[in-house]
Amino acid sequence: MADAISGADGGGAAGAVPPTFAAVYCLAPTLAQLFTDPEVGINLAGLIHGEQRFEWPEPVHPGDIVDAEAEIVSVEEKRGMTFVGLDILATRQADSAVVCRGRSLMIVRGG
Amino acid sequence: MTSPTLASVSVGDEIASLTRTVTQEQIGAYAEASGDFNPIHLDAEFATSVGLPGTIAHGLLEMGILADAISRWAGSSEALASLEVRFSKPLRAGESITCNGKVVAVDEDQGLATMDVEAVSSRGERVLTNGRAVVRLTR
Repeated sequence: MADAISGADGGGAAGAVPPTFAAVYCLAPTLAQLFTDPEVGINLAGLIHGEQRFEWPEPVHPGDIVDAEAEIVSVEEKRGMTFVGLDILATRQADSAVVCRGRSLMIVRGG
Repeated sequence: MTSPTLASVSVGDEIASLTRTVTQEQIGAYAEASGDFNPIHLDAEFATSVGLPGTIAHGLLEMGILADAISRWAGSSEALASLEVRFSKPLRAGESITCNGKVVAVDEDQGLATMDVEAVSSRGERVLTNGRAVVRLTR
């Protein structure tokens, strides 16, 4: 899914977007697909963010168009909860440069 | 304050502690900004129905405050090469979060400083744990 980044403010001195703006260009588009997919069968309302890692090889700037893709890499049931691990990769369309690598652990209660 | 450089940074250096109060209004604004409208952040009745103490901040909002604390020390948010945390305890609406960090390794060849980072709530709970950040340093 491609997200055009526009009008972001409050970033670094050189006008990059804040690092955790990855919530918008990395997580939001991919999670929305994963967790509204009836085949995956996850109740979004019970979802808790367990862990998050981001790597930013390069800053993202307003105007960049970023593609994000995510893969479920682990699903584990324990203590009545489901732990879902995701790997996310975000690339800038203009030059295919990787701008963010993400790893998320999501916890679905009552899984 | 001048930004740290590879030559000036030492293991044991600490970032300036940063405290922010996270109000329900800010959580609502973060939902709008991030597109994450999970009702555990917005609807107190729903939040308590799933066993939470009330509405809680988005983990990534807390992580954003932590990234801000590190970026202020580094001199730019672009210096942040990576950041990871565990969201160990929920931060309730209206509570404050205090972020801290300490340099644990300096890689002269790569020009990187690795930091242990964490955040505690005004209730004294360790809300962000197992935190690790890598910062790019200028020579």
